[in-house]
Amino acid sequence: MKHLLSMMAALLILFYAALSCAQDWDDILKQAQGQTVYFNAWGGSQAINDYISWAAKEAKKEFGIKVVHVKVTDLGEVVSRVLVEKSTGRKDKGSVDLMWINGENFKAMKKNHLLYGPFTQKLPNYPLVDTENKPTTLFDFTVPVDNMEAPWGMALLVFQYDTRRINMPPGSMEELLALAQKHPGRVTYPAPPSFYGTTFIKQALLELTDTPDALNMPVSKADFARVTAPLWRFLDRLNPLMWRKGKVFTKGAPAMKQLLNDSEIFISLSFNPNDAANAIANGELPGSIRTYVHRSGTIGNTHFLGIPYNASAVEGAMVFADFLLSPRAQARKSDPEIWGDPTVLNLSRLTPGDRALFEKIAIPTASLPPAALSKVLPEPHASWVEALEKAWQIRYSK
Amino acid sequence: MSLELKHVQITRKGQALFAPICLNIFPGETATVMGASGCGKSTLLSAICGSLSREFRLKGEILLKGHSINPVPMERRNIGILFQDDLLFPHMSIGSNLAFALPPGMPRYLRDEKVKHALGQAGLEGFEDRDPATLSGGQRSRASLLRTLLARPKALLLDEPFSRLDHGLKGQIREFVFDQVKKMNIPALLVTHDPGDMAEGPLIDLTTHR
Amino acid sequence: MPLTRKQHERLANVVTFTPHMRPGNPPKARADLPDQADQGISSGTGMGTFLLLFPGSVFFTFLVTVGAGLWGTWLPSLGYLPAMGKTTLTLHPWTELFNHPAIGGAVRSTLVSGWGTALGAFLLSGLLFAMNYGSRTWGVMEKMLAPILSVPHAAFAIGLSFLISPGGWLVRMVSPGLTGVDLPPAWVIPKDPQGLSLMIALVLKETPFMILVMAGALQQIDYNATMAVGRSLGYRPAQVRLKILLPQLFPHMRLSLYAVIAYSLSVVDMSMILGPTTPPTLPVLVVQWFNDPMLETRLMGAAGATLLLGMVLGSLLLAYILEKAIIRCFEWRVANGRRETLLSPMTPVGRTLLMGGMTVFTLTMVILVIWSFTWQWPFPEVLPAQWSFRFWEKSIHDLGSPMGTTLITGLAATMAGLVLTIGCLEYEATLSKTIAINRYKKCMSIIYLPLLLPQVAFIFGVQMLLTWFHLDASATGLIWSHLIFVLPYIFLTLGSVYRSFDRRIMTTATLLCGSPMKAFLKVKLPMLLRPILFSFAVGISVSVAQYIPTLFIGAGRFSTITTEVVALASGSDRRVAAVYALYQQLIPMGVYLLAIFVPKLMFINRKRMQR
Repeated sequence: MKHLLSMMAALLILFYAALSCAQDWDDILKQAQGQTVYFNAWGGSQAINDYISWAAKEAKKEFGIKVVHVKVTDLGEVVSRVLVEKSTGRKDKGSVDLMWINGENFKAMKKNHLLYGPFTQKLPNYPLVDTENKPTTLFDFTVPVDNMEAPWGMALLVFQYDTRRINMPPGSMEELLALAQKHPGRVTYPAPPSFYGTTFIKQALLELTDTPDALNMPVSKADFARVTAPLWRFLDRLNPLMWRKGKVFTKGAPAMKQLLNDSEIFISLSFNPNDAANAIANGELPGSIRTYVHRSGTIGNTHFLGIPYNASAVEGAMVFADFLLSPRAQARKSDPEIWGDPTVLNLSRLTPGDRALFEKIAIPTASLPPAALSKVLPEPHASWVEALEKAWQIRYSK
Repeated sequence: MSLELKHVQITRKGQALFAPICLNIFPGETATVMGASGCGKSTLLSAICGSLSREFRLKGEILLKGHSINPVPMERRNIGILFQDDLLFPHMSIGSNLAFALPPGMPRYLRDEKVKHALGQAGLEGFEDRDPATLSGGQRSRASLLRTLLARPKALLLDEPFSRLDHGLKGQIREFVFDQVKKMNIPALLVTHDPGDMAEGPLIDLTTHR
Repeated sequence: MPLTRKQHERLANVVTFTPHMRPGNPPKARADLPDQADQGISSGTGMGTFLLLFPGSVFFTFLVTVGAGLWGTWLPSLGYLPAMGKTTLTLHPWTELFNHPAIGGAVRSTLVSGWGTALGAFLLSGLLFAMNYGSRTWGVMEKMLAPILSVPHAAFAIGLSFLISPGGWLVRMVSPGLTGVDLPPAWVIPKDPQGLSLMIALVLKETPFMILVMAGALQQIDYNATMAVGRSLGYRPAQVRLKILLPQLFPHMRLSLYAVIAYSLSVVDMSMILGPTTPPTLPVLVVQWFNDPMLETRLMGAAGATLLLGMVLGSLLLAYILEKAIIRCFEWRVANGRRETLLSPMTPVGRTLLMGGMTVFTLTMVILVIWSFTWQWPFPEVLPAQWSFRFWEKSIHDLGSPMGTTLITGLAATMAGLVLTIGCLEYEATLSKTIAINRYKKCMSIIYLPLLLPQVAFIFGVQMLLTWFHLDASATGLIWSHLIFVLPYIFLTLGSVYRSFDRRIMTTATLLCGSPMKAFLKVKLPMLLRPILFSFAVGISVSVAQYIPTLFIGAGRFSTITTEVVALASGSDRRVAAVYALYQQLIPMGVYLLAIFVPKLMFINRKRMQR
């Protein structure tokens, strides 16, 4: 018995030694060599696909890992797949190694223990992340990140308008309504539960409600009907004035971009402040499109990279996530000519050489100067999402 | 080398199609089975060549050269059959159609020669590369018979092979067929509904043979 | 030729009567003879037993896959999903489903577009046939049938929405010159809440399919003879086609009609592009629920998938009852003797409809080509303001791997499907006309299940099954999942031609060469090359179009042209989407062309093989 116990203890020590050893970044790099990382990310944007294929090539050169971009239409598919793998008891050799994730998907995966980690503290580039000034890198839709996902980029709800059709963009939801009255049928927003639509609803709620503080608490603790009453009054007036009389909605910002190009609508939205500039540069939008935000500030959040609990190439996934966090990769990503997605890094922590990479990027005319984007509204508590989506569907989706 | 039917009878769901048949056909001879359509004469032929469908049962014994061939599978019976349609394979040339019947293992030049020789016998010289679809009805019938004979069958079955031919042609082809049977010295069995087709060998009329 | 006396004599003499052996009274002495009838036609070499392997494995595969797939959906719909700690059976997902605000609208628009499509496609194909068959327009259409059918649903939907949107090409052609507006009109297509634009698109896509099936069925009927008989009785050609030919054709079309009903009720990709949005159709809603971040929602998704299954089965039952009712009501009308019909004066209308349909298909192709060469194209320009080759250039560089995956998967699934189908049909041929053949055919109809069940109602269960055996994310699993959908179409297209192959040809060939295998390979296969290649093309295009199986069973490890197309269609870049949609059309179209021209070239000097 004693013999057995001591043997088990020895084994345990060995196990921990192995574990701490693996935590050493050099070892991770070594193990990552030759691995294939299946990176599941939205594949609807050529600009983003091109950026990912650039990063994959660099990772192959630098770390000897092969990155395969699995192009998804909806991240929910990936969550679903990981869930199926879990339900059949697969603890390793999962089909997903790294995934582009945030918000509700993160919340669901964290809750159901579908994520690997915590791991971001091991990434050499993680200390460069601007966690102080960008709190959404620590709280994803108010859910604590707990090092379970690595920040990748910043998102801000911005609007785009066509200067050929509108002289002055609206500065608030009320002014948007006025514009819709003046140009019936030329305004729309995506239908929740598309996260674009849900974010628009949340923005409207933040602007219109009399009790904004209630939004920081779980929805169960708030008087939902009273808090949201101004929102529904607003939408009841706006929807009938919208594109297709509010009976048809788009699925998201990409579809709205097409409508904006076709002049079916005059105002579109995006999570990428440089989206319009990028789209003009690649011909998707005419040069007359400009970006604007509402005066009261705009909802901002962060998008992340997560590793499923049963990933086949954990080390490779970590190494690639770290590469995507590197100043070189982040600077390229924030270039509007490439993608234009704002960085999560704190520029003051970078070496002068790395900082220069960011500073030489010019702000295109279609984008807003950084100062105009400084007023960031925090997301409401994550529990509001479902409640708002359901209430919206009951009212407008029958 | 004779083909012998001993009390051969075919039943379907317990019902006999005709009374048992006893028939002995000698080499070089062509026997005839007569009967209206639907009397079971084609079924009799498929029993002899081994392609009887499962719904039918065969009673009695079929002997070729004195050996029962009842248990022998179709492809090893060495029996040739001619139908009322020539059934030349439409995707092959006349030459290939004939060569298809030759046994394997023969060198190319020999095969070509045999085909050429066979065609020459039937007045089809130089038809090797012709498309079957471009031949006249009589030419196709002859080619079809040649093909059957090139497989060196030990017996020949004729399933109304002349019924599609026009009157003038019929006699000519009949002569040709019966000549070949004599030349090859094999037993042949002809089924037909047309008394005019009858050969000179033994005869069974299934219409009265109930 | 009269009988000679000699012949008469022989007639009397040769017949050997054996009075003790009467029909039905088998000779006991002969009982020991080997029973010929127990051997299969080509058997004696164990061929029949060997062939039994094919239907056996097909039967097993389909039963297990579809069964497990349905089971894996039904259990979660009753609240059972151990991965989420749900192990008690409850009706909660169902109450949640029926209380969901979107369910009423979703069911309504699904039924409208589904039934509208089935009825529309069926009636339209029937009327077009009655009004146009044999005309020059019909001839043109028959030539266009293969390319039209090879257009994948997703690509067609994308092209059509480019065409008919308020800011689309049709409006651009007349604006501002004719309409005087420089803004797109505010009409509600596509994506109208009633699902009508989805329905119209589906009718456009499914009618050619029904016409193809009809053309196949026509080959089983002597069209010219029937026509001659009917016309000599004083009926107009359209009446003959309507009253005599269509009723004969329908039994051959029934299964395809059922497939159209099931497909239009459960289509996902086209509905995502052209269907209503708030709420979407039920199948789209179900996919949304299955992918919802709130993992509990997928229990409701499973219930929704099962509801959709019920709707499809109910619709098929209704179609069956309708068929019987219509036959009852109209039976006497066929024989009412009226020879004139409204159809005859309407022939120009039929011709216009046919031309219109073909024009729409052509325009969707053209608009895709234009978009693929576009750089910038603002409203209301009729043609792009700036052109570019960039997207084609880039695609050549990006396309290698998805193209390879698409081709390899399609080839493997189709080859496997062909081998299995031919094996099953060969086995069937050994059964001949016994009762067994009917029983066998009934058993084999299980392979049509994937055509009649909504994909979303069992694909998640299949995913579960394959994950269990570690076959997900593997090439085997992917090919398997494609095979499930490819095989029924191969069977459907090859079956009737294969069955009508003249048995005497195989008898002749086997007797000639002494080997059933050689006869099969050298005579039967080449003679059937054309229909086999056509089935091959159908198989490839079915495989190429698979989206949901590729996504779920391939676990995203395998990107095909179609997953790329749908992913890009979810984005905003119409130019890249157009390029990929064209690539998606290229493969099936290429294979159809091969299927048409390879037999033509191989048998260039064989008149009867050209038909």
